[in-house]
Order: sequence, then structure tokens, then C-alpha cells
Amino acid sequence: MAVRGWQVAAAVFLLIPFVVYLSVPSYNMVDPKFYGLPFFYWYQTLWLVLSGILFGLAAWLINRGE
Amino acid sequence: MLSSDGIALFVILFIVFVFLGFYGARFRRGDLRGLNEWGLGGQRMGPWLLWVLVGADLYTAYTFVAIPSGVYGAGALYFYAVPYVALTFAIAVVTMPRLWVVSRNRGYITAVDFVKDRFNSRNLALAVALTGVVAELPYIALQIVGMQSVLTVMLLGVANVKTVTEVALIVAFIILAIFTFTSGLRGAALGAIMKDVLIFGSVIAVIVVVLVNWGGFTTAFANAPASYADLPSISIPKFWSLFFGSALALYLYPHAINGCLSASDKKSLRLSQALLPIYGVGLAMLALFGILLYGIPAALSIVKTSANGALTVPAIIITVLPGWGAGIALLAVFIGGLVPAAIMAIAAANLLTRNVVKEIYPKITPHGETQAAKWISAAVKFVALAFVFTVSTTYAVQLQLLGGVLIAQTLPAVFLGLYTRWLDGKALTVGWAVGIISGIYLVLDTNKFGILISSLFNTPFGYLYIAILALGLNFLVAVVGTAVVRITRFHREGIIPEEDLRRVRTGSPSAAVSTPITPISAASTGEAASD
Repeated sequence: MAVRGWQVAAAVFLLIPFVVYLSVPSYNMVDPKFYGLPFFYWYQTLWLVLSGILFGLAAWLINRGE
Repeated sequence: MLSSDGIALFVILFIVFVFLGFYGARFRRGDLRGLNEWGLGGQRMGPWLLWVLVGADLYTAYTFVAIPSGVYGAGALYFYAVPYVALTFAIAVVTMPRLWVVSRNRGYITAVDFVKDRFNSRNLALAVALTGVVAELPYIALQIVGMQSVLTVMLLGVANVKTVTEVALIVAFIILAIFTFTSGLRGAALGAIMKDVLIFGSVIAVIVVVLVNWGGFTTAFANAPASYADLPSISIPKFWSLFFGSALALYLYPHAINGCLSASDKKSLRLSQALLPIYGVGLAMLALFGILLYGIPAALSIVKTSANGALTVPAIIITVLPGWGAGIALLAVFIGGLVPAAIMAIAAANLLTRNVVKEIYPKITPHGETQAAKWISAAVKFVALAFVFTVSTTYAVQLQLLGGVLIAQTLPAVFLGLYTRWLDGKALTVGWAVGIISGIYLVLDTNKFGILISSLFNTPFGYLYIAILALGLNFLVAVVGTAVVRITRFHREGIIPEEDLRRVRTGSPSAAVSTPITPISAASTGEAASD
């Protein structure tokens, strides 16, 4: 079974948030703050939205490909 | 104590909620005598309902109580809930549509139905079923703790607060049990919509008021312990292992799988799960309530006086919102515990009926099966209620983490089973046993065989969530065991053709075989066939 381009793209989109969140030291810091909220907190919250977008793209690709 | 207009709104909205619960029986009507109708909403949940129904598993007392209370008490570590809810949905996108397809083709109601056929092993199926039920109970208990904390704050100052709270909880549960009995998952789905609208509104209202009137995050962090601004480096292994382990575990819980199997079609299931991390933004806000509490002296004193972190969110609500607003927001948190409790009890009942009772009495009729599930779901709720009344609150939160350790041990059979038929049922059963026993042992050991206060174990790599450690052992035993069983030719093949995992068969005849009362509706088979 040959691996298709859309399968690779979907896998990458699904994996990016894992890489981002598992690199804990890359975001474990206080500054820059956002309205008094330390980086550690707002960065992870922002990535909730970005993860949703990336997973949504992956789901769209898989749904279209199947 | 909550003002009288607040209490009036609370009661009125609760009546609306109950009405929705009963109305659910008529909602997209089906024959409620069938288990797939009562327990899976007729498998006709479209993308939006699914979003809310599975999202209901996101906004539970875990979010309102366990996490804010953890952030209040321990700071950044408990923000692990955020990466947890982001990543768990990637796992759902990959696994759940496949489980949905095989379930549709073969008429499965639970993940255990799948495991039993996939590995042709009744022992393994029984092990997975019992793990699901046992892990679900403390999760339901946690919901009750959440509802209890709402009532405690609402009735602060009333004489005999404890008795009044317990009576109110029992009344709420009797009502819940009756409407779950008549409406099944549909009633819960309608309640979930109401709950999520109110929760989102309340969270946003509180955040805005706190940012404008209470000095926002700057004041809050200035008054919180200095270490809360980020993660101490010793906590980094705890942090990632907690979110990674929890992300692996969520979609093994019967209630999460039950929600996914109620989907009307595979593609909307996949898309709805993919977008759920965005829904998690509200959870991140609620987690931050644990910090905001430090900037709101009146609320902080409620929590400190009672020495009960579970009161964090209700205490903030009652302090910063006007009486009527607090009434709405507190009701939101209250039904935020009630709806998931109903969904969890239904899922546990499906599992006990289909995979335990039916194994013992294979001749049970579909009607009898549904009756049994209804009664079991009521019983499960009251067992959980009794549990909360007899053990302490903090204990319930910790037992939920222990539940995570247990449910994670079903991962090889359920998730890996979706992708490979290589593993052997006997080896998986032994792996499961090793995972469960080592998990429980490590939990006991790390707590020095005393009161349960931690589910982290000190390893050479730092403190790690025991769910992951036990799962590692489990997996190792399953793989080595399978190799041994295959070499010694004791391996038994599963009975699911690979084709059944790939796409929905037109007409899916076998789906009708196991639920003869209600063949899956024409509308939903039509959707499935076009996919």
C-alpha cells in the first residue's frame, strides 16, 4: 500500500501539537507576559486554537482522501 | 449565601433543564426499547450534537473542581489539563472513526464488543469491561463532588449546610435517574447543549468582570505564590507525563467511546473531534480561576476558611457576579456535573449489560437488555452518590487519577487492536493484569500505603504519572507474550475480517442482527452508505 501525499500531510498536522507541547522547556518561562498572564499560560492556551485548526485540516484531508 | 433572586433563577433554570431531559425522549424519536436507541441515541447524532455531547466530557467537574483546585493549591503543574485536552483529540481523530466503522458493520454497542471478536477472547473482553466500569465510578463521584461544592457555596451560612446539601443532591439525582431512565442518551444530549451555552457565557462573564474590576492577572499573580508563574524544573517530568498519560486515557473511558459511537456518520465524527481543542479554551480559563482566586480576597477567604480547594470556582462566581448572574453561573456548574454523570452512568450501564450480564445470560432479549441497562444506570448513580457521602472529598479527586491509571491498561487491546491483529488475546490479558497490578502497587507504594495523595512515581527520569509506567510494562508483556504464544502455536485468530475495519458495508446487515428491534434507521444507513 503506497503512502499518499495527503496521508503524510495529515500525519504531520496531527503530530505538530505533540512536538510543541512535549517541548516543555521551550515554553516554560514567565516573559513575555500578555495582560499580566505569564508566557507559560497564554502560549499553551493559544496552541489549543492552533491545534484545533491543524487537526481540523488533518480531518478534512483524511475525509477527502477516503 | 446566594441572594434570593439568584436562588430563584437557579431553581427556574433547573426546571427548564429537567424539562429538556424528559423532552429528549421525543427528540429525533426512536424506539427506546432497543439498547442502541436508549444508550446511543439511535446513532443519529450529527456533527454539532456530537461536538457538544463529547465536549460535555470536557466540561465536567474535572474542569470545574479538580483542575482549578489543583492550580490554586499547586500552581502551574495542574495546567497540564490544557495540553491534555489538546492532544487527546488527535488520538480521537485517528482511532474513533475506525472504531465507529467496525461497530456499525458488526452492530457493536461498546468497545468491549470489538475487543471480544478482534482477539476472540472472552477473558480479555471481561477484563476490559470491568476496568471500564471500575474506572468510571470515581469519575462519576467527582461530578457529585462538583455539584456538592456549588450547593455548599450557595447555601453558605444556612444552618445544617451539610444535611441540606445532601438532601438537595439526593433529590437532584432522583430526578436525573428518572429522566435518564425514560430518555436515555437523547435527554443528556439536550441537557448538554443547555449546559455548554450557560458555561461558556458564565466563564466569559467572570473573566471580563475580574479583568475590569479586580485587577486581572497582574493582581492575581502578584498575590499568588511566586513559584506559580511557571513550572519549577523538578515538575517538568510530572507535567508532561500527566498530560500525555491523560491524553492516552480519555478515549478509553466508556463515556467517551459511547459518545463517539452515537455518531451518525464517520466523517462528521472525525471533524467534530478534530475541532474540540478550540472548545478547550474555556477549560484553560477555568484552570486560571485557580490563580485569579488570589486577587479576590472575599472569595479566597471562603476557600481558606473551609480549607476546600473544590470551592474555588463557585466562590469566585458568588463573589464577583451580581446575585442573578451568580444564580445562572452556579446552575451552569451544577448541571455541568449532572450531565456528565448521566452520560457516564449510561456508558457504564451499556458496558455492564452488554458485556457482563449478556455474557452470563446470553438469551436475554433486546428489550430485556435495555431494561437491565436502565436499572443499572440508576444503580450506578446511587453507588457513586453513596461513595461521595462516605469518603472525603479530596479522596474522590485522587481516586479519579487512579481511575486513569486503570483505564490506560485497556489501551493495547482497544487502540492497538484497531490497527493490528498480530497481538494475541491471552498475551493481552496477561499484559492487562500486569499493568493493573503494577499500577495499583506503584500507587500504593508512592503513597507509602497510606492516604492517596499522589499518582506520580519517582523514577530515574523524575516523577512520572503511574498510568504511563504501568502501560509500558503492560505493552512489553503483551508483545513478548504474543511472540511466545505464536511460536508455541497457541495463538487464536480474531473473527473480524479486515474489510469490516476499513469501510462501512452497504446496508450493514450484521448491524441489524444484534439489535433486531430497531434496525438502524433508513436515514443513518443512507448516510453511512454514501461515505
